[in-house]
Amino acid sequence: MKILKYFLCSFLFVSASTFAQNEIKPKRKPGHTNQNKFKQLYDEFATPNMFRTGSGAPGPAYYQQQADYKMDIEIDDVNAKLYGNETITYTNNSPDELKYLWVQLDQNMRAKDSKTPLISGSGVSPATTSARAVKSYLKERFDGGFNIEHVKDVNGKDLAHMINRTMMRVELPAVMKTGDKFSFKIKWWYKINDHVKDGGRSGYEYFEENDNKIYVMAQFYPRMAVYNDTEGWQNSQFWGRDEFALPFGDFDVNITVPADHILDGTGYLVNREDVFTKDMMKRFNQAKKSYDKPVMIVTQAEAEKTEKSKSNKKKTWKLSAQMVRDFGFATSRKFLWDMMAVKIGDKDVMAVSLYSKEGNPLWEQWSTRTVASTLKSYSRMTFDYPYHKAISVHAPMGMEYPMICYNFGRPDKEGKYSDRTKYGMISVIIHEVGHNFFPMIVNSDERQWTWMDEGLNTFVQYVAEQDFGEWNPTALSSIHNAYPSRRGPAKNIVRYMGGNQDFIAPIMTKGLNTYQFGSNAYSKPATGLNMLRETIMGRDLFDYSFREYAHRWMFKHPTPEDFFRTMEDASAIDLDWFWRGWFYTTDYTDIGVKEVKKFAVTANPNDNGKRLADRYNMDPNDLVYFVEEGTEGYDEAMKTAASIDDIPTVKEYIMDNFTPEEQKAMKNAPKYFYQVTFNKPGGLVMPLIVQYEYADGSKEKVTYPAQIWRFNDNEVSRAVASEKEIVSITVDPDLETADVDTSNNSWPKEVKDSDFDKFKNKVKN
Amino acid sequence: MKSLQLILAFLIVPVLVSSSTKHDYYVSVTKIEYVKAQQSLQIINQIFINDFEKLLRQRYDESITLDTENESEVVETYMQRYLSDKLKINVNGASVSFKFIGKEYKDDITYCYLEIENVSEIKSLEVTNRILFDIFPEQQNIVRLKLLNKNKSFLLLPDKDSFVLNFD
Repeated sequence: MKILKYFLCSFLFVSASTFAQNEIKPKRKPGHTNQNKFKQLYDEFATPNMFRTGSGAPGPAYYQQQADYKMDIEIDDVNAKLYGNETITYTNNSPDELKYLWVQLDQNMRAKDSKTPLISGSGVSPATTSARAVKSYLKERFDGGFNIEHVKDVNGKDLAHMINRTMMRVELPAVMKTGDKFSFKIKWWYKINDHVKDGGRSGYEYFEENDNKIYVMAQFYPRMAVYNDTEGWQNSQFWGRDEFALPFGDFDVNITVPADHILDGTGYLVNREDVFTKDMMKRFNQAKKSYDKPVMIVTQAEAEKTEKSKSNKKKTWKLSAQMVRDFGFATSRKFLWDMMAVKIGDKDVMAVSLYSKEGNPLWEQWSTRTVASTLKSYSRMTFDYPYHKAISVHAPMGMEYPMICYNFGRPDKEGKYSDRTKYGMISVIIHEVGHNFFPMIVNSDERQWTWMDEGLNTFVQYVAEQDFGEWNPTALSSIHNAYPSRRGPAKNIVRYMGGNQDFIAPIMTKGLNTYQFGSNAYSKPATGLNMLRETIMGRDLFDYSFREYAHRWMFKHPTPEDFFRTMEDASAIDLDWFWRGWFYTTDYTDIGVKEVKKFAVTANPNDNGKRLADRYNMDPNDLVYFVEEGTEGYDEAMKTAASIDDIPTVKEYIMDNFTPEEQKAMKNAPKYFYQVTFNKPGGLVMPLIVQYEYADGSKEKVTYPAQIWRFNDNEVSRAVASEKEIVSITVDPDLETADVDTSNNSWPKEVKDSDFDKFKNKVKN
Repeated sequence: MKSLQLILAFLIVPVLVSSSTKHDYYVSVTKIEYVKAQQSLQIINQIFINDFEKLLRQRYDESITLDTENESEVVETYMQRYLSDKLKINVNGASVSFKFIGKEYKDDITYCYLEIENVSEIKSLEVTNRILFDIFPEQQNIVRLKLLNKNKSFLLLPDKDSFVLNFD
């Protein structure tokens, strides 16, 4: 009977005190739908089907289309024009019949009649430079759109087609059934833009000295649009910001450029013997065996000599690539070229850099080494890099294509550079090389979901930057003992999360329509994944699940749900609440300590205790009493007088119900009792991470899972019993949850120095 | 306030975005807080490092590089000179000068710490902020005030570069 009574007692106490606190208001509230933050995501997620399963994996009916290209490209260096002739072979693997094909004409974003300039707001500036005034009010817009000369079938017969800005619909002579292949030819040319002056992700940079250009080419050919089970044709227009959606295929590309150019791009160089000198061949073979440092294929002295004259002859470089979603290349007579080998699994991959003398001394030292380091880190976090090379090209932008990317970072004219320039360059190379994994191989739809490649990539970039710093300590400045990553740690996103809600969009927003693009699509998703890895899931579970996602969707087209579902499927952690809060809303984290009540344990009932015993008709001597500091019946002496096992009723109970062995196995008896109330002014649910500091200086960190908020989204209380007196309580002591206001995170309330005072004190000392 | 929001909305629409984003709009933030207990007006000025470096090079010395390490001593002298030139503050109708406490670099941003001492009360405050207007016509300067338990924000543009507040 004793056991039951004791049990009943504690139960009654709790309900009694709950009643006292929450007075029931007589007025009836209206009903409501499920507004719980832990509600399943059925309303937001697409229903699983035979194409995509509820586990987040490709289903039994999953399919994807294929587009193979054979192209002849020529660059007219004098007039900066590109001429092309391509044969696209399209394979319909879908169960659907296709009446027409959609082809992307991205360069039309630069056409004279492009609507891109018309969707930006603008105003009149009361004072401006002449150059800007001329550009805004006098100069015609540069016409860099495609000139499509013909669209024909393989027999030379014209195919009916219609161009709607950046999309071209090509009519099929006969309906394409499942498994059908159709080949057609497009001939085109366009004026190449100066990407430094006019902007863009492709084009040339002009150098006045010796009248030279560095071409970094992309989106230079009409490209097939994606057709899939979720969108049908993805033919959403290219406005210039949100990137691309492309099917996989094989490419055979012949590129004709001036004979003194050095060129590299996506794919195997098929005719290396024709375009390399004997010296270059010899150095290339050395580079294939050099795992610790790059070998120069074209030296600075050679490049400086070449750029002083111009050849009238032409040379054709032949590249062949399998299972890529796109094709890019870079060409110039200014190029230096270096390479080294890096072991990925049991395979050798070449890390390659193309740069001009303007990039040195930074580029010869760090570009290729950064490429090699990146491939190792990303291969560990996802899958072994499947291509045979990765090239980093020196150009003032940051842009990615399969096996090749264009990266900024240039010292001043004397070759001096700041820490910012150095770290900026290393970070952008890691980021753009990393894009080989997301979205070049895990081929998400960038036009729609910027975060799926930028966010995931920026997350792995953070891991790779930390690796890079660890593996290359000489690259770090003396003030840094780890790589100073801009994006990743939770505390770096606080300024954005706590900002003006009018200019924040949920991550799950089409890329074109987000405010604060960099924070929305890069930093926030990357930080969210870092939080999952470090705080919510733990590294083992997160890494396994993240790798599983990468493996499942390698060389396929995933959607957001495929990612969300896989992370749960592989870890047994229900994360719907996290996806909902972090990805589907603009809620922010703000959790604090609202109140702490201290109690002492005693056998002597105070008035309140007596009343309770009386009400439930219990013998007052059978009960244990907790008296709150500052209330009737409390005195300071009680604070240290008794542990819970000093109370006679408890002693009796223990002796009657437990063997001596069981008694020994019990926890040490607590003396101090607290009721801590945590509140949550922020809308996000997060694990409640609490650090208790004791009188002896020791600290203990307890993490209450996010589910602690499931019944009350505003506040929750915990009873805390301790042998030692608690002197302070801190929520999120290591800044892991991006709490936007830490002024309410401590008890007793900490008066913190303002940023200004902190800095002033630092300067004084 | 509506017009400020509208302008801000445009401001945040980037001119051009590459795949690894750099900052693509020209904006500085100046936080001004009055701490009565210290009789001090505390100013934290946030300017993108790239923009500030470009300005200091053009205006004073081409060889300047803003860098935590190996930075020339003249940099702070020039920063101080520039800020005194472009950020004018009147308290209670009289022009006051600030002390340049120092600066630090965090991420892409230079934080300059300025202090006006011996401010026993504030009846009115006038701020003129022409920072970077001399090289970027699109420059916009946001001033955030925290004083007398009030928070206020102002957006200053080349044709509207100052504001006055009276507390009575």
